[in-house]
Amino acid sequence: MAVKTDSFTAPTKRRLATFWQPYTRVAMLSWLTGALVAAILEQLVGRPLAFMLGLGKVPVLFGLVIILKAPLLIPGVIVYVLLIYILPIGLIARLTTKLGNKLAAELLRYPMLVSTVVHLVLLYATLQIWGNINDYRNLVLRLTLISVLITLSLNVINGYMGEFSCSHPGFLALGAYGASAVTVSLFVNDNLFGPAVFTGNWGWIIFPFSLILGGIIAAIGSLVVAIPSFRTRGDYLAIISLAFTFIIKSFIENLEFVGGPRGLSSQPDWANLPTVFIWVVVGVWVINNFVRSTMGKALNAVRDDEIAADAMTVNTRRTKMVAFMFSAFWAGVGGGLFAHVLRYVNPSTFGIQKLAEVLAMVYFGGLNSVYGSIVGAVGFNLLSEALRPLEIFKWIIIPVLLILIMIFRPTGLVAFKEFDVHQIIAPKE
Amino acid sequence: MDSFFQNIVNALQWGSFYALIALGYSMVYGILMLFNFAHGDIFMVGAYLGFFVAAGLLSLATMGILAIPNWLVLLLTVLIAMALNSIVGVLVERIGYRPLRDAPRASAAITGLMIGIILETGNLAILGAQRLSFPSLIETQTYTIGGVAVTNKKIMIVAVALFLMLVLHLFITRTKWGMAMRAMAYDFAIIPLMGVPINRIAALTFGLGSALAAAAGVLYGVAYPILDPYMGILIGWKAFVAAILGGRGSILGAAFAGFLLGFIEIFTATIFPSTFRDLIAYSIILVILTFRPHGLFGEAYSARLRL
Amino acid sequence: MRKSHLLLLIALLLIATVAITACGSSGPQTIKIGINAPLTGDIPKVGEGTKFAAEMWLDDINKAGGLEVGGKKYQVELVIEDNESKADSATKANTKLITQDEVLAIVGPQSSKQAVPAGEVANNYKTPMVSPWSTNPNTTLNRPWVFRAAFLDPFQGVVDAKFISDEFGFTKAAVLYDVASDYPKGLADVFKKSWEDLHGAGSVVAFESFTTKDTDFSAQLTKIINSGAEVLFTPQYYNEVALIVQQAHELGWTGPIIGSDSWGSAETVKLCGSDCYGSFFSTHYAAAGATGATKEFIDRYNAKYGYVPDDVGALTWDSLNLLKQAIQDCGSITGDLGKDRQCVRDALANIKNFPGITGDMTFDEQGDPTKCAVIVKISDAGEFEFYKSACP
Repeated sequence: MAVKTDSFTAPTKRRLATFWQPYTRVAMLSWLTGALVAAILEQLVGRPLAFMLGLGKVPVLFGLVIILKAPLLIPGVIVYVLLIYILPIGLIARLTTKLGNKLAAELLRYPMLVSTVVHLVLLYATLQIWGNINDYRNLVLRLTLISVLITLSLNVINGYMGEFSCSHPGFLALGAYGASAVTVSLFVNDNLFGPAVFTGNWGWIIFPFSLILGGIIAAIGSLVVAIPSFRTRGDYLAIISLAFTFIIKSFIENLEFVGGPRGLSSQPDWANLPTVFIWVVVGVWVINNFVRSTMGKALNAVRDDEIAADAMTVNTRRTKMVAFMFSAFWAGVGGGLFAHVLRYVNPSTFGIQKLAEVLAMVYFGGLNSVYGSIVGAVGFNLLSEALRPLEIFKWIIIPVLLILIMIFRPTGLVAFKEFDVHQIIAPKE
Repeated sequence: MDSFFQNIVNALQWGSFYALIALGYSMVYGILMLFNFAHGDIFMVGAYLGFFVAAGLLSLATMGILAIPNWLVLLLTVLIAMALNSIVGVLVERIGYRPLRDAPRASAAITGLMIGIILETGNLAILGAQRLSFPSLIETQTYTIGGVAVTNKKIMIVAVALFLMLVLHLFITRTKWGMAMRAMAYDFAIIPLMGVPINRIAALTFGLGSALAAAAGVLYGVAYPILDPYMGILIGWKAFVAAILGGRGSILGAAFAGFLLGFIEIFTATIFPSTFRDLIAYSIILVILTFRPHGLFGEAYSARLRL
Repeated sequence: MRKSHLLLLIALLLIATVAITACGSSGPQTIKIGINAPLTGDIPKVGEGTKFAAEMWLDDINKAGGLEVGGKKYQVELVIEDNESKADSATKANTKLITQDEVLAIVGPQSSKQAVPAGEVANNYKTPMVSPWSTNPNTTLNRPWVFRAAFLDPFQGVVDAKFISDEFGFTKAAVLYDVASDYPKGLADVFKKSWEDLHGAGSVVAFESFTTKDTDFSAQLTKIINSGAEVLFTPQYYNEVALIVQQAHELGWTGPIIGSDSWGSAETVKLCGSDCYGSFFSTHYAAAGATGATKEFIDRYNAKYGYVPDDVGALTWDSLNLLKQAIQDCGSITGDLGKDRQCVRDALANIKNFPGITGDMTFDEQGDPTKCAVIVKISDAGEFEFYKSACP
């Protein structure tokens, strides 16, 4: 918990612990069911309840946006969040503790995939229903999911391999443009590529291909950074990767057939929530397996001592190259999804600002940890949407928070923690 | 051919800024092993401080309280801005870096990045959206020598930059404090045991780097007299490239690489269509680093530094 | 333990039932208008001008006791969103304004870099959007819901090329522009084409570029000076204008320097000083020597905020008044957002000869106004003097 417990007096602490104690036995299955019920509840009574509390409409991001705009509504927001989210989730978690654990245990008797899929379906249903309230929430949700993928892919290099790579905006740009070029040229009547080649409903098959193609282009591009990394590392690699970002931006600005500095727009609207969700889940799953494999251990070995790793028969060159290409591939996929969510990209989207953003998410969440990347991306995105009403001061508050986090937890919020799917879905008693 | 010499003059001026800013990066980097990503914004703060000092001195002059010629105003502006900005640098070190001295280096890099954002946004919030125009303290005079246009400003900028680099070099090689800094760069762990006050040296490093950045800021204001809160970002990142390109902790290397970067940028824009400038300029940097993976004057995997 | 649970459950059910029975919707007492402006980022002054003009407009409405539509007065609320001068942020802001704040219509974003992608959003959600300042054709192209208050680049480029040829009789021109920014790049291309149409291929003897945030243009300017060009056209924003003009003079450039509507900021002269005196640029309105409603607007703005408004402010003012006109033409506000938005869009499209402070406006089928451009000369007193007007 983020709360600093030592500031509480001892009895409060004890009471809190006794209060929380039963919840430690709640299985993930029950939590997800609770969340699903909360989302359904919001769908059913959210609007009238919000109206009754004087909020006008359903608070879009747990009321965070409203709080800053109209402080008088804070009590209403708190009541809303309590009634719609906290109470139902808590209640259902408690009520179904036994049942949930039993079911979770039952599910684990089949191959683990079954249980995982059940959990994911629950999660997806929750997000879908929650995001249904309005399109803004849906957009934020999709962008947040994509951020998770992008952050995680950067964590492979910066966290697991311990380099300080600044090349991610470049990879994102390659993926975004690679995927967009395919979809826009084939499916859209557009002034750059002319009329659409296909008119039929081929999106479901072409879109994954174009994303993968974008990923592959990014992976090939990453060789520009990966090959120098054989001979150098750390600081020198940092500026090689930074130069790479400048080069890619300038390169795309000079590519007239994808619109140059004007950018590429009107991508087909294929990156809806289910598509994004599936890609992000697959991405997280693959990356998690990658970093937990021997390859992941090799990455850690390279980070901790390259020469020793070499002596221990780790093929450091192969390791670095694979890590860069792998990371770039997923960044490229993320970039492709990003382009299709916004349905517009231009080269200046992928500059220094983007770099600061992705770096902040990785280090805010925590190095060397899948959990960390999820926490970092979700936290950062929610925060930056919630603080929108502050206008200029948003960019003072966010950096201050990040500095505090860095000072008190130098490796990020949840660093060096393994993301063990079995442990998550297992029954808790 | 005219344009060749003209561009050498252009590149010397442009390179001076990269070199001065790169020195700040290089010192912090060489001595404390940190990326001070706030440095570009410290440069911005320096330029703004210079603006206010100059404006203040000028208004004193017009009120008749302090009748001094404009060149003296400029000199005072540079010195006062350097002094004030070194305080800013020390504060940044105290708030953003000292608490993180034992943390992973990348974490400190992130706090630097964030302090930079705070400086930019804070400036925007305090001073508002309008850009400031740096008062022109010296009358521009253009001398045309064989078709090459040289202004007195250009000569002054390059001369002051070179002079400051020389002073820094002498400080580091000839004084006791400089020796302490070199020692700290040599071995971070042992040196406190020898009675070297590590915190004071760190503060000194930041102070010196920021003072140089302020000098660069004031000169920048003279050459490109428009100040905006985001002016330090791009030049800062590029100077960072120059600092590392020079080799870890090599002062002369950083200065040289700063000028080199200026030359590469100006000449790629001259020879090739200028739309390709960044593409070609940074490809050259990439190639240089591929063949000299430890910078121009750096040493491979060695704690030994030349400062 | 169980007791507390039961209590919670009861409370929950109670509130749920009350909530359902209390279901109802608020009457359409307020009209919400979204403003999507770059308050932070590269061009904060543009955002400030937008915000100030909008606030002044709202003041007027409030003083009149609300906006009168079909004999009924409605309160007007402005929802101002910062787009951080970023394309992705502008699309997010538009989505939020439309789906979360449920605005009736949107004014903004200003620069084409944000207006092009944000227009897509507005069009998809069938919400009328008026971009005051965007001159890139793609902003409104094939988007029935998107309008603008400015003229277009293809028009402006031709006006500039013709003006230079007629005024000075030059045949060799140089162009210096920012390759990484939508607006200068688009206008530079158009200018090059129309100049070469007038004077034959190769008559643009230097076509040089730089990247956003660059401050040293000496290499490009050296090339331009050595190319034998007689005039320099530079469609840049006010902050870059000052640097370009000063550096050009330092390097020995003596010919005229011509700009575009992005020069039309009070800051241009403030930053550039005497170096810019005698330059020309094409723009939407000339502040010095303005008359009638334009002068009234300028004076009020100047009195309130202490500086002469940029063209952005004037265009934002016009855009808001266009919207006001459209809402009033609509006749009534039903409270059904989809219907009202449709009505406002249709009314906007049908506006004829709207008397804006930047000129009369009638929208064509793309939602672009047919309006005249003004050539302004920066006088030796540093004022923007009306020099000539050019109509399509």
